[in-house]
Amino acid sequence: MRRFWLFTLSLVVVVAFGATKLVFWTAPNPLQEEFWKEIVAEWNKLRPDVQIELSVIPAAASSEEAILTAIAAGKAPDISENIFSGFAAQLADIGAIHPLDNFKDDFWKLVDTRKMRNIVEGWKIKGRYYVFPIYSNPMLFWWRGDLLKQLGYDRPPRAYSEIYELSSKFTKPNEKYVMQVIAGRNWWDRWFDFITYYYAASGGKAYIDPERRRAVFNNEYGLKVAEFIHKMFRENHTAVELGSNPFYMGSILGKITGPWEINWAKETFPDVMPHVWLAPPPVPDDYPTDLPIYTFADTKGLVIYENCKNKKAAFEFISWVFSKVEHDVLWIEKTRMPPAREDLATNPAFTRFMDDKFFKAYAEAVAYAVPPALIDKTIDVQLSMTTHLIEPLMYLKGQPKDILSTAVREINKILF
Amino acid sequence: MASLSAKEKRFGTGIIAFYLTHTAIFWGYPFVWMVMLAFSRWRFVGRPTFVGLANFLRILQDSNFIRIVLNTLNFLAYLIPMLLISSLIFAIALSRMRYFKTFVVMSFLVANVSSGVAYSIMFSNLFAVNGPLNRIVYSLFGFTIPWFSDPRLAVFSICLIVTWKFVGYYGMIIYAGLQAIPSSLFEAAKMDGASNWKIFWTITLPLLNPSLITVTVFATTLTFGIFTEPYMITGGGPMMRTMTLLIYMYDTAFRRIDPSYATVVAIATAVMSFSLVIVIRRIFEREVALV
Repeated sequence: MRRFWLFTLSLVVVVAFGATKLVFWTAPNPLQEEFWKEIVAEWNKLRPDVQIELSVIPAAASSEEAILTAIAAGKAPDISENIFSGFAAQLADIGAIHPLDNFKDDFWKLVDTRKMRNIVEGWKIKGRYYVFPIYSNPMLFWWRGDLLKQLGYDRPPRAYSEIYELSSKFTKPNEKYVMQVIAGRNWWDRWFDFITYYYAASGGKAYIDPERRRAVFNNEYGLKVAEFIHKMFRENHTAVELGSNPFYMGSILGKITGPWEINWAKETFPDVMPHVWLAPPPVPDDYPTDLPIYTFADTKGLVIYENCKNKKAAFEFISWVFSKVEHDVLWIEKTRMPPAREDLATNPAFTRFMDDKFFKAYAEAVAYAVPPALIDKTIDVQLSMTTHLIEPLMYLKGQPKDILSTAVREINKILF
Repeated sequence: MASLSAKEKRFGTGIIAFYLTHTAIFWGYPFVWMVMLAFSRWRFVGRPTFVGLANFLRILQDSNFIRIVLNTLNFLAYLIPMLLISSLIFAIALSRMRYFKTFVVMSFLVANVSSGVAYSIMFSNLFAVNGPLNRIVYSLFGFTIPWFSDPRLAVFSICLIVTWKFVGYYGMIIYAGLQAIPSSLFEAAKMDGASNWKIFWTITLPLLNPSLITVTVFATTLTFGIFTEPYMITGGGPMMRTMTLLIYMYDTAFRRIDPSYATVVAIATAVMSFSLVIVIRRIFEREVALV
């Protein structure tokens, strides 16, 4: 009876004063959309006073373009997801997003409930917390176990020398190579090659110091990675353009990728997927065997915009979604991507997913996955990395040490 | 009579009102906004701050912009001859065909309406190190062609793709020009004993001048607007040689969050493109009278 009166009262209040309507944009990804539809329907039933209007980020060449155009037109949503760290730093810089630590204890309570204290530290922008990380996709290497077995291996290669040795057995120039050491020529490809290898070689150390605005990869780790890339090209162990899906076609033995590829690959290449072995990125030969191998984290988060009509209500919605472990369970069921929480391997709620070798490998790597540097000049820095580091290494234009020094000098000019 | 005139005035105003409104919204407003952005600093939030000529001075010192302008000249040097020659060959071949003319035209025009993203993926597979083209080359000559890996060859490869896309469309423009030349001219020349080569150089080519200038102008403006192919295939590399003005503009506006500077890049692109078109017309355009 008490519940009935409470419900009636809240309904009367809603009718009398009108409900708060918050617009929430989700990533243009059908699996994530499915998750959010279910969650928002549940919330809207529960809270008639704060209604969430769900829609996908409008079609554009990129999510960033759609969001920026909406901000310029004064039509920005109240909340949106699919925000990568570099974009978040830019949005914070122009004052378009609201710091979540303004909610003080409520924010920290949520962070503790979702077991993500260390993770949010990686998202600190100029001492403030603007983004609520949703998922963290560690980058792992997939190896063709079936082909490796044929070559006499019972585990994937770990160190650079093992890659060279494997290459001598497998590579046939212009036909097949051990791996594509360079992910591509776009600026974002640097996340999936040099930065990933650097994190692996250095035990997760920063490549850029965002406080001092200096590139700091001109050290022993950076040099080892540069020498590795240089040698891969010099000795013809790798190639750049190998057409679509060379891994599944057997043209390469290993590739780096994130968990977003699992469902697609299982459907498209059902014969290959059971034979895939997962491993962290390769490391220098002297990397200690008893230490975990770090990797790059492709992570995305959620933000509240400054123009939000009711920021408190928006944060209540976020708190409700992410304080319930069952919602993260639903997230995994729908998307197969590891939520950004530190207890994936220990929380019993996630135990059943550990039977899936792919999910298990990615979930275990979350703790050692480092997000990119939180700087507002991500594109220019990574374009410079392409021009002054990756391409000279590919085309063997100089010695790795000199190339590395030049790249750091050029990047520092941009950051200064 | 006077009332009829007023009625006519209203009618006339009504007709042009649609055009004027459309122009005000889709041309006037963006133009005013462009001028404001060019002289200010604005980052999508808040009001633009007036900075005078700072954005224009910045472009003169921007080494990336200068590199991209050189790239554009490089693209022009490849693309205009490639497009003109291939379209001319296509048009001449088409004018000599007796059967399946529509089928051939449609086949070539399909390329023009194909999705840029789709054919970019197709070409990157075709030109891959282990792709079908390189396999043939390797089996015949023992080497492979670095289509997208070599800085100079990458520009040529992108031009090859753009030529494939536009050869049908531009070929049709030249074909229309060919059809407009009276056959009596060719017959008279033949009766006077002129060779086919002589006829081509002294009759066909000069009379095709309007069509060829149209194609050259189209190809010039097209070159300043190349985006999808390098964006999808080379990412602007290798060594930034396939980075185009449009990619730079897009990245500056939406990825670097600097729409003011992107506007100045757009203005510079428009000025260069229009100037070049004027120069081309002044130098090569001829008055052609067929009657």
